[in-house]
Amino acid sequence: MATQSDPHASEFSAAELEFLAEDEMIEIVPNMRMETLNLICGDFGPFHPQIATQVPLWLAVALKKRGKCTIRPPEWMSVEKLTQVLEAERDSQKTFQPLPFHYVEISRLLFDHARDDIPDIYMVRSLIEDIKDVRFHKIGTGLEVISQRTAALKLEHLTAMEVNIVRPFVVRALQAFYKLDSPEMIQESDLRANRRFPTANHGPKRQLKR
Amino acid sequence: MESGSGEGSMMDDYESLISTTDAELLKRSWRNEKAAPEILQFELSLVQRSTEQIQLMEETVEESMASGVDPLTVSLYQMDLDRTQFLLRSYIRIRLQKIEKYMAHIHKTTELWNRLSKQEQKYAQRCIEDLKEHFEKSVLSKLPDRYKSSLKQSVISEEDDMVPEPQLDTYVICRAKRSLGAFQLDDSAEENPVSLDAGDPYAIRYKSIKSLVYSGQIDLV
Amino acid sequence: MSQYYDIDDIIAEDELVPAVFQVSANGVGLFDSSDETNKVEQGSKVELPFWLARELHLRQAVSINLPHCFNQKTREELAADAAHVDLRNRCPYFYELGRKLFTLVGDKTIGTLLLAAFQTRYREVLIKAQTAALAVAPKFLTLLTKEETKLYEAAQSSMVAFKKWRMGGPRFQKASVLGRKRRPFE
Repeated sequence: MATQSDPHASEFSAAELEFLAEDEMIEIVPNMRMETLNLICGDFGPFHPQIATQVPLWLAVALKKRGKCTIRPPEWMSVEKLTQVLEAERDSQKTFQPLPFHYVEISRLLFDHARDDIPDIYMVRSLIEDIKDVRFHKIGTGLEVISQRTAALKLEHLTAMEVNIVRPFVVRALQAFYKLDSPEMIQESDLRANRRFPTANHGPKRQLKR
Repeated sequence: MESGSGEGSMMDDYESLISTTDAELLKRSWRNEKAAPEILQFELSLVQRSTEQIQLMEETVEESMASGVDPLTVSLYQMDLDRTQFLLRSYIRIRLQKIEKYMAHIHKTTELWNRLSKQEQKYAQRCIEDLKEHFEKSVLSKLPDRYKSSLKQSVISEEDDMVPEPQLDTYVICRAKRSLGAFQLDDSAEENPVSLDAGDPYAIRYKSIKSLVYSGQIDLV
Repeated sequence: MSQYYDIDDIIAEDELVPAVFQVSANGVGLFDSSDETNKVEQGSKVELPFWLARELHLRQAVSINLPHCFNQKTREELAADAAHVDLRNRCPYFYELGRKLFTLVGDKTIGTLLLAAFQTRYREVLIKAQTAALAVAPKFLTLLTKEETKLYEAAQSSMVAFKKWRMGGPRFQKASVLGRKRRPFE
């Protein structure tokens, strides 16, 4: 109680996000036989050689590490799909493409542990890096438009890791504007024309982009 | 472990709508607790079930090791166990941190006090007494009579102005499971009703959506 | 009051503000060193820490004026080029103090002033946080108030943490407590 409020208490570490991402389901092709696993988080298997099955990512990685399976990269992780996404990201300065919520964590886990299962891995990797960069840049410019009290800010199609990275800043900024742009403190008659958006834009909800 | 009689746990409501695994529910409770500025309702039955499942799994692992089950299988069971234990422990730990930070406030707010489990209440009680004693011995007993409280700066304070409270109007990031039609963000008429689309993250003041968090319609991210 | 233990709040309220005594007061000659008597006359101008000024104001003993950091010169500089005004020098708690003073002083334009200043400087903080190389703290940082500095750091810190995570290195280290048999619940 005597401590200053801990700004980090409500933040998720990157490792914790990865932990959450590890529960995402992914397809594997086992090369061995194993009984069904009755786990707390669900039942998986039985496992037969060459018969594809779905398991959580952490399980897939564990099996892969022991050479017990190959991992099928998710559909969105192909050069074609990613190229489409990248182009679409570049085409629009304001909108974001829908992507799997944990695309950053999932791709990193696969790069680290299943390189040989990803066709054209260098290309895929570089595409994902570029997509990430374009999106981060867009987030930055998108945040620049905040200039008044904002009741709700839509972060359309932002993914887990992106949200986590901008969270500390966005939360602080929105809070600051909320306090400074309060009806008690700002008299309409004091406003200088160029300092205020026209009332039509002072909506309750702003999009991060658009 | 028993909890105080608090508002209905959100899990009971939600479970009746969609069947979700306990693992999923535990994960969601962990996330919400981590991101929320105030302490949320203790998920008593979820924690009990998870604890049982953990115990069961521990036994399974021991038996398997003893009976020579394939080490790969055993290690996978162990991993699953570790993951669940992490969630449960972290969940409890976050709550303890909040209790330590806001113990006086929780103690004097019935609604919040009732969100604690019996064990948490015991813990909070001990913390409060320890801290009070510490303040009294080290500082308060040496101050003039009107200033001896650890809750009020002076006898004439109108409220408990020494008690830290969680900031409910802090902004949080959340996602709605299903699209939510127009709802009022706050009591004053100045804000227009807002709709939330499913799946997209929104940055909103916690106060505006807290009842939706309680009812499980919104998750904090 | 959730601010009681907040260090920044405590320091912010220590900032000096000009006040004028509306009554004369005995025993507080400390505030007015212009003569030997241990009292302050009605109408005396003094500088008091904000927390004290507020208490005296509530008892109608003083009236409070805006400190220098909100004076005309600063306003003009902010209007001209808000991003480059050295607010830290004027008052590191510019916004916090301004907000606290708002209800206590006659001048109500301070609200607009704070918002306008923040609108511009916020953008600058955001832009600089994205473009600045981490190793070099830009000179810009030395101009920022406490609040703005925290904003800047918020922008930087999670990016840094993310990059660190991305680099890899030892991943989950198994906590020594795992794998041990739990003690039974009481």
